Amino acid sequence: MTGRLRALWRLTALQASWNYERMQGLGVAWATLPLLAPLAARDPARYRAAVARSTGFFNANPYLAGAAVGAGAHEELAGAPGAAVERLRTALCGPLGALGDQLFWMGTVPGLAAAALGAVALGAGWWAPLTAVALHAMFRFRVSAWALDVGLHHGAGVGARIQQSWLPRSVEWAGRGAAVLVGLAIPLAAGWLLADAPTQRRWLAVALALVFYRLMGRLAGRLSAVELTLAAMLLTFLWHWSTA
Amino acid sequence: MTGLEPVGLGLVLLWGTLVGVDLASWPQMMLARPLVAGAVTGLLVGDPAAGLLVGGVLELFALDVLPIGASRYPDFGAGSVGAVAVAAGAPLGGRLGLAVAVGLVAALAARHATEWVRRANADAARRAETALAAGDPAAVGRLQRSGLARDAARAAGVTGLAMGLALGVRSAPPLDPALAQALALIAVAGGVAAAIHGAIRTASQGGRLAWVAAGLAAGGLLLVWR
Repeated sequence: MTGRLRALWRLTALQASWNYERMQGLGVAWATLPLLAPLAARDPARYRAAVARSTGFFNANPYLAGAAVGAGAHEELAGAPGAAVERLRTALCGPLGALGDQLFWMGTVPGLAAAALGAVALGAGWWAPLTAVALHAMFRFRVSAWALDVGLHHGAGVGARIQQSWLPRSVEWAGRGAAVLVGLAIPLAAGWLLADAPTQRRWLAVALALVFYRLMGRLAGRLSAVELTLAAMLLTFLWHWSTA
Repeated sequence: MTGLEPVGLGLVLLWGTLVGVDLASWPQMMLARPLVAGAVTGLLVGDPAAGLLVGGVLELFALDVLPIGASRYPDFGAGSVGAVAVAAGAPLGGRLGLAVAVGLVAALAARHATEWVRRANADAARRAETALAAGDPAAVGRLQRSGLARDAARAAGVTGLAMGLALGVRSAPPLDPALAQALALIAVAGGVAAAIHGAIRTASQGGRLAWVAAGLAAGGLLLVWR
């Protein structure tokens, strides 16, 4: 397996040792090691220094982190000063985080999940969520490989190259697509989940959902939907128990 | 329903562990989405419809979660596995409320367990500080492997908790039908509220509220038309 393929494989476990101090730093180092192999034979002292540098703080979207891994390795192999490599890594955290989070966490991931949910609500079977997984996997690995290659080829110029690429434009479309699909899935899922309920009970569910929504807004950050729902269930249980 | 016999139970625990690890550590392939975790669990325990139903409700809650950076969020994946085990084999929807409750409790437990794993990873990195500063590649590998093992233990623990709750619920006397229906209704309403909250919050950040509204309108029309 080539260094690039090994790095790509290791990028799938970028967050395996995620922690509150270095965040993804150790994962970045783990993925960078195969790319630094030529340096180990050529200049062991420089190799060790490069490995130590790669373990520092890093945090970005995991699917795009390959760009920083590739760019860092490119600069290390080219003999760039250590401080410049560290500055490059730090500078890439923000853009790779913002673009990747918008593309994946606010775009394709909720979009695909909502599409699968909507499809299931319309009668599709177990294959709908598994299709979403397959589509996500294909896209995610393709983007990770692309990001790694851009970093490896462009080094310190990776940020400019990404800004000129398809990525910033696709972020907006992914967000719009996800917004439509999530909006579409909500009434479909509600209709499916309450299909057997009488009309009166359905309206009760709608009213209750509105109450929950208002409460979530009022209690912003203090109680999540999960906690509110569990509290409502517990109160209902206790009320039923006390009146039984 | 035979999927909760020892062999099936082992498979479900294994699946729950993979689902839990998938959330952040490896390979992040959407296996941790409740609908996916629920659908596969349903297949494993021989009740695909229950898997989709329970996974569908929990997916609505998951649409309110943005798994970004150091934010603390519930982990619905492993909980979904236990939740499906509650509902499997029962009349469709009969145990939906209790199943969702088990999934939500496990999701909150998983969030706390994730924080423990992250702190333990930081402690391990601090202990290896000298080796890391010296650029020892073996130390990096050890930390990655131990981090993955910790997360796998966390995921297995959460799945075990959820399965324990599921087995407890299954062995308890059945709920009064009126109470079971009320719990199911609360579960669906909570999920819908969470999904709307998540959609509006995310869309507000990107100026995409009109797109959410268009989706809601289209979904509503489709629902009426069907």
